[in-house]
Amino acid sequence: MHISDGILSAPVLAAGFVGTVAMAAYTMRKMDMDDIPKISVITSVFFVASLIHVPVGPSSAHLILNGLVGIVLGMRAFPAIMLGIVLQTILFGHGGVTVIGVNSVMLGGGGLMAYFVWQLRHKFNVKKREVVFGALAGATGILASGVILAIALVTTGEEFMVSAGYILAAHFPIAIVEAIVVGACAGFLLKVKPDTLAGHVAVFNPPPKETIEPKEK
Amino acid sequence: MPLDIDRFSHVESPFQRWDPRVKIFSLGLFVFGVAVLKTLPAALLAFFLAVYFIRLSGLPFDFIYNGMKWIVFFLLPFFIILPLSYPGEAAFHILGIGFVWDGFRLATLIIIKATSIVLTSFAIFGSARFDVSMIALQHLKIPKILVQMLLFTYRYTFVFIEEMRRMQIAMKVRGFVMKSDVNTLKVMGNFVGTLLVRSFERSERVYKAMLSKGYQGELHSMVRFQSDKSDFIKSGLVLVAAVLLLTLDFSGAFTPAVKGWF
Repeated sequence: MHISDGILSAPVLAAGFVGTVAMAAYTMRKMDMDDIPKISVITSVFFVASLIHVPVGPSSAHLILNGLVGIVLGMRAFPAIMLGIVLQTILFGHGGVTVIGVNSVMLGGGGLMAYFVWQLRHKFNVKKREVVFGALAGATGILASGVILAIALVTTGEEFMVSAGYILAAHFPIAIVEAIVVGACAGFLLKVKPDTLAGHVAVFNPPPKETIEPKEK
Repeated sequence: MPLDIDRFSHVESPFQRWDPRVKIFSLGLFVFGVAVLKTLPAALLAFFLAVYFIRLSGLPFDFIYNGMKWIVFFLLPFFIILPLSYPGEAAFHILGIGFVWDGFRLATLIIIKATSIVLTSFAIFGSARFDVSMIALQHLKIPKILVQMLLFTYRYTFVFIEEMRRMQIAMKVRGFVMKSDVNTLKVMGNFVGTLLVRSFERSERVYKAMLSKGYQGELHSMVRFQSDKSDFIKSGLVLVAAVLLLTLDFSGAFTPAVKGWF
């Protein structure tokens, strides 16, 4: 799911870069040295997973999983997705150099939206809420990206109005597929390695008290 | 699909000898110039230039072809969607939907521009080792942290693809067949989760090893860049070409693609 080179107008491309720089600067504040390998790993997994094709009806689609990046990395999802896009551009030429900005805002913005939805789970007390909200986050990631893409197309020119509509419609089946995959994945991670999930609070063994108290300053 | 873009970086060519810093900078500007072109003749000229870059870079035809075929394939729907959805006077009707030449010309423009840009990026990144290109980016004031993460991600990608292949074989051996149903998707979710957990644990080991070898957030490289006159002449030529293309495009000698062919 990329927008290619040569479609969007120069102002939209420029807006994409400005948005990317702003969002990257915001989401990468207070980044530690040991965040570097962690983000790199998730970016690679995101990248490798996007090579997996799953059958959807008669055809197949590849996984995008920006929602999953959101629920694993939280706010750091944005730099991770941006890097994934840069790498994809360099390796495959998918998308292109001039649309790195727009694509980052589109997929990375989706990832951030997914994270916000994912964090809402603390407000609800339903059975298997991680699976439910994982699925919602997965769908949100895709749908938010679809909306951003449609906005980019429509602001480029009236002639893309109809195309934008088709593209938005095409996102719904993908969103359903991603919802199931991300929901299952969130359930799996909760069972196997819950601390990989962003904003996870251990319920049964709270950390020792000393670590909770704020440091004196 | 083989991922290593730099597997032909040993091929001797003017592009390979070009200082990567100057190369990335000038061709990068060229690419942005191409992206804003609005007329078909200028775009076509940019396309021929991009093909010429590929010829000069000496990259094998197979390599370019394999990289390009999917990109062009994904762009082809534009030839159908745009002419049929473009507002304007229909030239003729297909199944009751008006076919508008303006939209067809716009689709042609998009595809010519996109292929030229992708060809140029192949010439940029196919003609130097990946790590050299990345360090060149660092010299071009791309933040150090991003360059490091790109290098790590690139390295890990190959490791994880290997890991994924092993897991896929294991699934096949146990009789898993992909179907178009919810269960397959759930299994794929667990598959991605397993890949994530395994990768995390592996990277933690790697990170500890790096720390014990003295990693402090800095990447030291043996790559040294040297640029001489010929590097700047090549870049100068590329920049002149870009400026000429843009002048040609904006001079008004040709009509924008949405209004006419020339």
